[in-house]
Amino acid sequence: MLDSLIILLAGIFLPLFPLSMVFNAILDKITHSWLRLLLFIAWPLIGLFMVLDSNLVLPDWLLTLALATSALYALRLLTVREVNQWSGFLATSLWSLLWLAMMQETPPALLYAYAISMSLPLVLLVLLSAGLEQRYGAAYIGLYGGLARTIPRFTGVLVTVVMAAIATPLFPSFFIMLDMVVKTISATPLAATILLLIWLLWSWAGAHLIQGLIVGRTSIVKIADMEITTIGWYILVLLALVVGGIYLGGVIL
Amino acid sequence: MEQLIIVVAVLPLISALLIQLFAGRIGRRIARVSVAATTLSFLLSSLLLWWALTGYGPHALPLGNGTAVLLYDPLSALLASIILGISLIVHLYSVRYMAEEAGYGQFFVLLDLMTAALLFMVIAGDLITLIIAWYLVGVLLYFLLGQDTRSQTAYRFAFWTLITYRIGDIPLILAAACLYNAYGTWSLTTIFAEIMANPDAHQVMGLPLTEVVAALIGLAAFARSAQFLLHTWLPYTMDGPTPVSALMHAGIVNAGGFLMNRFAPVFVHSGDVLNWIFIVGLITAVFGSLLMLTQNDIKKALGYSTMGQMGFMIMECGIGAFSLAIYHLFAHGVFKGTMFLSAGSVINDARQDDGIPKDELYTFAVEKRPDKVRQPWILMAAITLAVPLVILVFAHLLVAEDYFQKQGAIVLLFFGWVTGAQLIFATYRMRTQNIWRLVGLSVLSLVVVVLGYAVISHAFDLFLYPDPAFRAQLYSAATIDLLRFDLLVVVVTLIVVSGWVVTYYGEQVGYRRRQQTKHLWLNFYALISREFYVSDIYTRLTRMLLAISGRLNVWLRWL
Repeated sequence: MLDSLIILLAGIFLPLFPLSMVFNAILDKITHSWLRLLLFIAWPLIGLFMVLDSNLVLPDWLLTLALATSALYALRLLTVREVNQWSGFLATSLWSLLWLAMMQETPPALLYAYAISMSLPLVLLVLLSAGLEQRYGAAYIGLYGGLARTIPRFTGVLVTVVMAAIATPLFPSFFIMLDMVVKTISATPLAATILLLIWLLWSWAGAHLIQGLIVGRTSIVKIADMEITTIGWYILVLLALVVGGIYLGGVIL
Repeated sequence: MEQLIIVVAVLPLISALLIQLFAGRIGRRIARVSVAATTLSFLLSSLLLWWALTGYGPHALPLGNGTAVLLYDPLSALLASIILGISLIVHLYSVRYMAEEAGYGQFFVLLDLMTAALLFMVIAGDLITLIIAWYLVGVLLYFLLGQDTRSQTAYRFAFWTLITYRIGDIPLILAAACLYNAYGTWSLTTIFAEIMANPDAHQVMGLPLTEVVAALIGLAAFARSAQFLLHTWLPYTMDGPTPVSALMHAGIVNAGGFLMNRFAPVFVHSGDVLNWIFIVGLITAVFGSLLMLTQNDIKKALGYSTMGQMGFMIMECGIGAFSLAIYHLFAHGVFKGTMFLSAGSVINDARQDDGIPKDELYTFAVEKRPDKVRQPWILMAAITLAVPLVILVFAHLLVAEDYFQKQGAIVLLFFGWVTGAQLIFATYRMRTQNIWRLVGLSVLSLVVVVLGYAVISHAFDLFLYPDPAFRAQLYSAATIDLLRFDLLVVVVTLIVVSGWVVTYYGEQVGYRRRQQTKHLWLNFYALISREFYVSDIYTRLTRMLLAISGRLNVWLRWL
């Protein structure tokens, strides 16, 4: 009974449908960027802590539910146009896969590393979304476009961050996904294939986001591009992610 | 010495980094850095190729903790040189061609990164490096095709390419995961050695591992090399810059042929998989060529031409002629790259002077004034059928006496035969006064092409697969039951011979289509002009998927 209750509670933080809607509802209500950042970092860590601390034996049906949740949000991601909501849906799709990693007996320290490295690109995306809201009044895919010509430095960072978020090599999520596929395929090849299809949907959604924002003609109105020092910080975090990814890849593969 | 291969692959990366850092300061002169790095890398790769030709290697070079391995062997040395050769030409061409475009520095960064990704792909000695490079090629191509960020169309079709490539990543990753679970290593050399020693040691879902992996690798190659049903991206990605089209059609699209060659030790034990690969290649070659002939947009025609060529390349793997696929890849790369890069000059020249000599060909093709002098049709049909066959048989006997014991060689012979016959038939249709001169020239060109092809492809065979036993294994892996094969040979021979005889006879007596067949032909033409509705079906499916996604979001209140 207690185990079920813990799983139910953890299902809010490591999203399991329909409990996954709680996170997205909260994210929708929060308007302050820093609170959003905190939410993206803390949310999966709370879930992991709850499960790992209670030494639960996870039932097999969780695999199906976690995969279904991830697939559902990956599919829904294709038609999301608001960048913060996009980040929330991708986070839901990513974090629900942490159940799989737990069922594959991944060491706790690595699980926390997985959660942080999945969340970090989304944190950057939330910051960039705030930057878009500041410049255009809204961070909305397909509303204005042409960022590549109007604010090229900002665009470069945005594209790289989106790439990191959708598990492109050499970012950590890529190695995490690869590890999950390798560990899943021997027991349930179908689950491994679904994992790869979810990954494919992320790429689709990522390309949709990039195209909706960067493609188009130069804005007539002068818009301030990102400052060099700010870019430096972003590059530093992204480089850390790449180095972390390669290191993580070396450890888990 | 073999460590040089690391330098070869890293040089374009360094160049990309330098351009990214200094493009703002030194402007368009930054392209020189890129050209210099590619030139140096090309020279070093040529040196490595030379060593490989003299019998040096193969060597595996572990990096870091040993998970990542680079491979220096004949295949990687040869393909690294080809990639860098084509990349260098594209670089040189782009220096002026892209000068007026926005994002000049960014273009060279992407070009260098693409060159590096392709190099890492061909020299990867482990599955992880291979997957990373394979994946990144798709991502980088997406951005290269979308170089013009104002063009929604360019990005639309770049997206098609990205998604098809990502679809192709799925079977490759599944194959890698299966191999890792079975052998506990990512190293390709170790995996292949174990497969060669004991091919039936592992199973996946009750099927032999080698067959499952071969099928998955085949699927990955199909997506990358635009095989039928996974081809729609290729003819439509013409909105990207011309140098990118050249690089794509001359290099990137050939990756399927490379992948199948890299996994040749798996295909040797792949059961019927090679036969299926042959069928897919054949369908692609036929459909690609058919669609090419009916396009009224020259760029799309070029795209479908590449699709047809890729079909041939995959088909060659399907008959066990793996090294021939590499030669095809190289020859097609040079030919198609030249076509794309010279397209601008040709258009420019044609605007000033059509350059068409007023000779027999002109009077026949343009002025529609064929000469009335004709040779007996039966004589020409006999020449058409006999001459190419004789040339092909002698050319192949020249390189190996036992050549015709391989079924793959017979299949290739048929294609050579039909192509040669087509050449002579085209000459005959021209109704020239000096038919023997033209036929003589056609036959001479055929001799040169066939001899060159047979000798060079044989040289590729000896270089890439020096072990004669392995070469024989590759051909025998693609072999089908002898009785079935002989029956097929007889049937196809009858079809080819009777087809040409009827064609010549019809040409002689003046063929008129009946009303019903005319209607059928029109319907068939409509089907081809809509490209078999493949793109339309995909568009419909995409819309359905997006509608489901949108509907779900509405039902779940966007939470």
